[in-house]
Amino acid sequence: MTQHIYLTILLPLLGFLVNGIFGPKIKNEKLIGIIGSGSIGLSFIISVISFFETLNLPVDKRQTIVTLFPWINVGNLNINFSYQVDQLSLVMALLVTGVGFIIHVYSIGYMHGDKAFWRFFSYLNLFIFAMMNLILADNFVLLFLGWEGVGLCSYLLIGFWYDRKFEKSTTADAGKKAFIVNRIGDFGFLVGMFLIFMTFGSLNFNDVFNRASIFNVSEGVFSLIAISLFIGATGKSAQIPLFVWLPDAMAGPTPVSALIHAATMVTAGVYMVARCSVLFASAPAVLIVVAVIGILTAIVAASIGLVQNDIKKVLAYSTISQLGYMFLGLGAGAFGAGIFHVMTHAFFKALLFLGAGSVIHAMHEEQDIQRYGGLKKFMPVTSKTFIIAALAISGIPPLSGFFSKDEILWYTYANGLWFLWVIGVITAMLTAFYMFRLYTLTFEGKSRFGSDKHPHESPKVMTIPLIILAVLSVIGGLIGIPEIFSGEHGNRFHNWLSPIFKQAERKMIIFGTHSHFEEIALMTISVVGAAAAIWFARHIYLNRPSIAENLSRKFRLTYNLLLNKYFVDEAYDYTIVNPIVKGSTSFLWKIADNKIIDGTVNGLAKVVAIISVYSRKLQTGLAQFYAIIMVLGITLALFWIILSR
Amino acid sequence: MSLEILLFIVFSLISVISAILMITRSNAVISALYLILNFAGLAGLYLLLNAQFIAVTQVIVYAGAIMVLFLFVIMLLKPEHEKKFLEAKPKLKIFAVAIAAIIFLQLIYLLFFSKPSESLSPEMTKSIDSGTIEAIGKQLYTNYLLPFEAAGFLLLAATVGALILAKKKIE
Amino acid sequence: MLNSLQDLYHIIPLLIVSGGILVSIIVEMYSKDSEKILFALSILVFGAAGLFSLYSVNNVSILFNGMLATGGNVNVFSFIFNIGAFIVTLLSADYIRKYGTYYGEYYIILQSSVLGMMLMAGAKDLFIIFIGLELMSISFYVLAGLNRKRYNANEASLKYFLLGAFATGFIVYGIGLIYGTAQTTSIDILTVRFPQLTGNLLFLAGVLLFLVGFTFKIAAFPFHMWVPDVYQGSPTVVAGLFSTGGKAAAFSAILVTLAALFNGNVGSLFTPYLIFVSALSMIYGSIVAISQDDIKRMLAYSSISHAGYLAIGLAAGNSEGTAGIIFYLAAYSFMNLGAFGIVALIEGENETNLSIASYAGLAKRNPALAALLSIFMFSLSGIPPFAGFFGKYYVFFAAIKSGLTWLALIGILSSVISVYFYLRIVVLMYFKDQGEEVIPSKSAMGMVGVVLSAILVVLLGVFPGSIINLISSFL
Repeated sequence: MTQHIYLTILLPLLGFLVNGIFGPKIKNEKLIGIIGSGSIGLSFIISVISFFETLNLPVDKRQTIVTLFPWINVGNLNINFSYQVDQLSLVMALLVTGVGFIIHVYSIGYMHGDKAFWRFFSYLNLFIFAMMNLILADNFVLLFLGWEGVGLCSYLLIGFWYDRKFEKSTTADAGKKAFIVNRIGDFGFLVGMFLIFMTFGSLNFNDVFNRASIFNVSEGVFSLIAISLFIGATGKSAQIPLFVWLPDAMAGPTPVSALIHAATMVTAGVYMVARCSVLFASAPAVLIVVAVIGILTAIVAASIGLVQNDIKKVLAYSTISQLGYMFLGLGAGAFGAGIFHVMTHAFFKALLFLGAGSVIHAMHEEQDIQRYGGLKKFMPVTSKTFIIAALAISGIPPLSGFFSKDEILWYTYANGLWFLWVIGVITAMLTAFYMFRLYTLTFEGKSRFGSDKHPHESPKVMTIPLIILAVLSVIGGLIGIPEIFSGEHGNRFHNWLSPIFKQAERKMIIFGTHSHFEEIALMTISVVGAAAAIWFARHIYLNRPSIAENLSRKFRLTYNLLLNKYFVDEAYDYTIVNPIVKGSTSFLWKIADNKIIDGTVNGLAKVVAIISVYSRKLQTGLAQFYAIIMVLGITLALFWIILSR
Repeated sequence: MSLEILLFIVFSLISVISAILMITRSNAVISALYLILNFAGLAGLYLLLNAQFIAVTQVIVYAGAIMVLFLFVIMLLKPEHEKKFLEAKPKLKIFAVAIAAIIFLQLIYLLFFSKPSESLSPEMTKSIDSGTIEAIGKQLYTNYLLPFEAAGFLLLAATVGALILAKKKIE
Repeated sequence: MLNSLQDLYHIIPLLIVSGGILVSIIVEMYSKDSEKILFALSILVFGAAGLFSLYSVNNVSILFNGMLATGGNVNVFSFIFNIGAFIVTLLSADYIRKYGTYYGEYYIILQSSVLGMMLMAGAKDLFIIFIGLELMSISFYVLAGLNRKRYNANEASLKYFLLGAFATGFIVYGIGLIYGTAQTTSIDILTVRFPQLTGNLLFLAGVLLFLVGFTFKIAAFPFHMWVPDVYQGSPTVVAGLFSTGGKAAAFSAILVTLAALFNGNVGSLFTPYLIFVSALSMIYGSIVAISQDDIKRMLAYSSISHAGYLAIGLAAGNSEGTAGIIFYLAAYSFMNLGAFGIVALIEGENETNLSIASYAGLAKRNPALAALLSIFMFSLSGIPPFAGFFGKYYVFFAAIKSGLTWLALIGILSSVISVYFYLRIVVLMYFKDQGEEVIPSKSAMGMVGVVLSAILVVLLGVFPGSIINLISSFL
C-alpha cells in the first residue's frame, strides 16, 4: 500500500471534484457528507496500512519514494510529482487524515441545514488534498504547491460565511487578512527555496539534505536559508510577528477552526522546519532565534488568552501559544519533541474546538463566555470531554499534553536554555489558568444566559467524534513516554522519528549530561505549577469572581493591554497598514499612479495609438497591397542572403 | 548557336511577352487569349526539356479545357472594361513594378553569379527518357505513389469545395 | 511502397482520415440529413485517428520509399491536429447552423484539411510537404468562404486565397531552386548533402524562399498582413482552426525541413532571419493587439505574437527548442481553440457580439463560461500553472541555452505586454457591469468542446514533464 500512497491524495481530490461539481445537484446532505468524509476515511485507512508496512521494514529502509510523473524537467532542475513516505510524513499523514476524518464526520452534524453544505465539504476535501501534498512532497516545489493550496483553502473557508458580519468588519475581510499576512511569509519561503537551489543545485529533499552535509557551505549561507524558511513558517504557523491573522481566522465555521487553524495547517510551519532540520541544525544562531520567537509567542499569546471573552478567541490564542511551544522545541534541537507536540496538540486542540463548536451550536451562535455558565448539566458529554482536553493542554499527567510539553521543556533546559525554560513553565501555568477559566465560566456556576436560549446536547454525529478525540487526548501521549519511565525501550516516538533527524543531530552540540533527579524535579515543578494554576482559576471564577474584578481594576493598564492584545493590530495598522494606505493614496495614487503610471500608460497608449494608426494605414484591406508588402519582405530577405554570403 | 538554344529563346520570348501583354490589357477576353499564348510558349519549353508528356498535358488541359472555361465565365459575367494598367492606383502599381524589378534582378544575380552546381548527377542524365508517359506512369505508381494518392485527395477536396461555394441552399 | 501489413498498421491514422473523407462523400450523396450523420462520423474519425496516433506513438518507421515518416513526433502532431479538429467539430455542431451554413460538406472539407496537415507533419519529401500544404490550404480557402452570402466571408476567403496562393508560389519556387541545385527533393538526402550545398547561394535562396512561404503560413511578421482580415471575416470556429491546426502544420513542415539544418554544423545559417521574424512578430503582435476592439482581431494579433514565441524555438535551433515548439503548439492549439470556442458561443446571429465590450459582466450571467475563458486567457498570457506558461518556459529556456538570452528577454517583455490585453477580458468579465444583454447561445456540444480544451490545457499544465520527455525521446 505504501506504493499507492498517492491514493491518499487522489481520494480527497476526487471527493472535492464530486462534491464541487455535483454538490448543488445532489441536495442530499447525508450523501454529500458520506462522500466528503468517506474519501478522507479511506485515505486514513491507506495511511494506517502504509504505516504498518513501513513499521515492518528494517529501520534503514523505511523511506519510500513514490514517483507519479515528471513535472518540470529543464536543465538541472528536475521536479517530479513524487511523494516521500517516511517516518515523519507518515506521522503527519496519519494525523491529518485521522483527525481530518473525525472533523469531517463532526461537520455533518455541525453544518446541518447550511445552504452551502456541499461547498463546505468540497472545500474541506480540497484542503486535505493540498495538506497531503504538503506533507508527502519529496521536494520543495511540491511542498510549496501544497503550502499555497492550504492557504487558499484557509482563505476560502474563513470567508465561507462571506455575508456574515465578523466583529467590526466581515468574514471576507478576515479571510483577506489571513491571505495578505501569509503572503509575507510565503515570500520568505520562496526566497529560501531560491537560495537552496542556488546553493545545492536541487530542490529534492534527499539531494538537498545530503548535500547540506557534504557541500562546503558557510554558516552564513545556512543562516540565510534557515531564516528565510523560518519567516515562511512564522506566517503559516502564526508566530511573532505574523500571528495576527489567526485570531481573525476564527470567523470561519468552527470545524474549520478545529481542522485548519488548530490541528493541521498551522502546524505546517513546524513540519517544514522539522523536515529541513539539517539546514536549521547547520545554523545554530537561527535555532536560537527560532526558540526565542517560539517562547515569546507562547507567553504573549497565553497572556492575551487570560482575558479574552470570546470562546474561540481564547482557543485561538491558546493555539498560537502552543505553536510557540513547538517552535521552542525545534529551536532547542528537539525536533522529535516538536512533532510529538504537534500530534498531541492536534488531539486536544481539535477536541477543544469541536467542544466549543458544540457549545456554540447549542447556544445559537453565542460565543461570549460571559453569557454561558452552568452548561454542564445540559451538555454532559461535551463538558466531560472538554475537561479532559483542558487537563491535557495544562500538562497534567498522564494525559497526552503532559508528555509532549514536558519533553520540550526538558530539552530546553538540558540544552542550557534555562531562562527559556522558566518562561515556558510560566506559560504553562498561564495556559492552565485560562483553560480552566474558560471551562469554569462555560460549564459551571450559574447560567448567565437569557431564557430564550435552550441549550441541549449535540447529536451523536457530533458527540462521538468528541469522545474519540477525548480518548486520544488521554492515551495519545503514551507512545512518547520518556526514557526515565519506560526504561530500556526508551521513548518509542522518539526512536521512530530519530532516523529523520539523525543528520541534524549529528551537527548539533551534544546535550550536557543531566541526572534523572533533575529531570524529575523539573517535571514536578511544572506539574505542581499547572495544578496550582488550575486550582486558582477554579477558585476565582467559581467562588470569588470579585478577585478577578479586583485584579483587573488594580492592574487596569496591564488588563487593557492584554484585552487589546498588546495593541499589536493597532500597532500594525499605525506603523505599516496606514502608512501604506496613506502612501498609496498620497504618493502611489496621486503621484505614481496619476503621474507616472498614467503618464506611462498614456504615453504607451499614444505610442500604441501611433503604431495602430500606421498599422491601420498598412492594414488597408487591399489584397494587392498586402501582396506588395510580402514581396517587399522577400526582396529584403533575398538581399540579406546575397549580402551575407 | 544550336537549334535548341534558338528555340529556347523563341519560346521564352513568347512566354514573357505574352505574360506582360496579358496583365496590361484592359479587355479581359484579350488577356485570356494572351494567356493561351503564354501556355503554348511554356509547352514549347517543356518539350525542349524532354518533358513531352507535360507539354502535351499543358496544351490539352490548360490551353484547351481551362481556357475555354475562363472564356465562358468572362463572357457570362460581361466585365466592364478595366482602366489602362497605370490609371487605377498609379502609385501602388509603380511601387509594385519597382519591387518586381528588384526581385527580378536579385534572381538573375542568384542564377548567374552564384557558384554553379556540381556536375549533373545520374538522376539528371536519366531524365532524357523520363518525360515519356511510360516512365512517368512507372514513377507515379512506384516511387511517387503517396504524392499521387495525396494529389487525388487534393483534387477531391477542390471539387467538394467548388460544390460548396456554388451551393444553392445557402441562408 | 508498402511492403507488408505491418506498414499498413503504421499509417492507420492517415487511413482513418482519408477513409473518413470517402465515406463522408458517399453519405453526403445519399443521405437527407447528412449534417447529423457527418457530424457524428467526423467526431468518430478525428477521435479515433487522434487516439490511435497517441497509442501508436512508438511505432517509428519510414514508408513509401522514404517519403513518409510515422510514429514519434509525427504522431504527436497528428494527435494535435486530430484532437484540435475534434474540438472544432464539437464547436461547429451548432455554430454552423447559426452561421447559416448548416450542411454536411463542411465536415468533408474539415477532414480534408486535417489530412493535409497530417501529410505535412509526416513528410520526408518536399513533394509531400507541398501536396499536404495545398490540400490544407485549399480546404482552408473554402472554409473561410463557407457562406457565399456573407460579404465579410467572401472577402476573407478571396484574400486568403490570393495571398495564400502567392505564398505557395514562393514555396514552390523555393522547392524548384532546391531541386535544381541539390537534384533531390528527399529531405534525408538533403540532410546528407547539406554541408556541401551550403556554399551554393542558389540553394540557400531556395531554402530561404521556402522558409518565407512558411513564414506566411505561420502568420509571422512581416508576412502577417492577411491574418486579422481573414480571421475576422471567417466563421469563428474556422478561424480557430486556422490559428491552431494551420499554424501547427506549418511549423511541423518547417521543423521537418530545418531538421536538415539543425543536424548539420551550420545550424546557425538562418538564425538571423528567424530571430528577426520572431522578435518582430512578438512585439508587433502584442502591441497592436492592445488597440483592438474586436475580439477576433485581438486573437488574430495574439496569434501573430504567438508565432513569434514559437519562432524563438526555431531560432534557438537545438533539440530543446524543437521539443519546446511541439509542446507549445499543443498547448497553444488547445487554449486558443477554447478561446475561439467561447467567442463562437457568445457570438450572436449575423456576427454580432464580437466586440470586447460584449464580454462585460459575463461572470454574473454565465459564471461557467467566464471561468473557462479566464483559464484560456491566463494560459495564453503565460501565467503558471497552465499549459501556456510551460510552453513559453521551454522555448525561452532553449533560447537561453543557445546563447540568445536577449531574444528570450524580448519574449518575456512581450509576454508582459500581452498580459494587458488578455487580462483586460478577464477584468471586463468580472468587474464591469454588462452594457447590453448578451445571451450566449445554448450549445451542449460547444460546451463539451470548450470544457475538453480546458481539461487539456490544465492537463498539459500538470504533466508538462511527461509530455516534454515523450517528445524529447524522439528527437
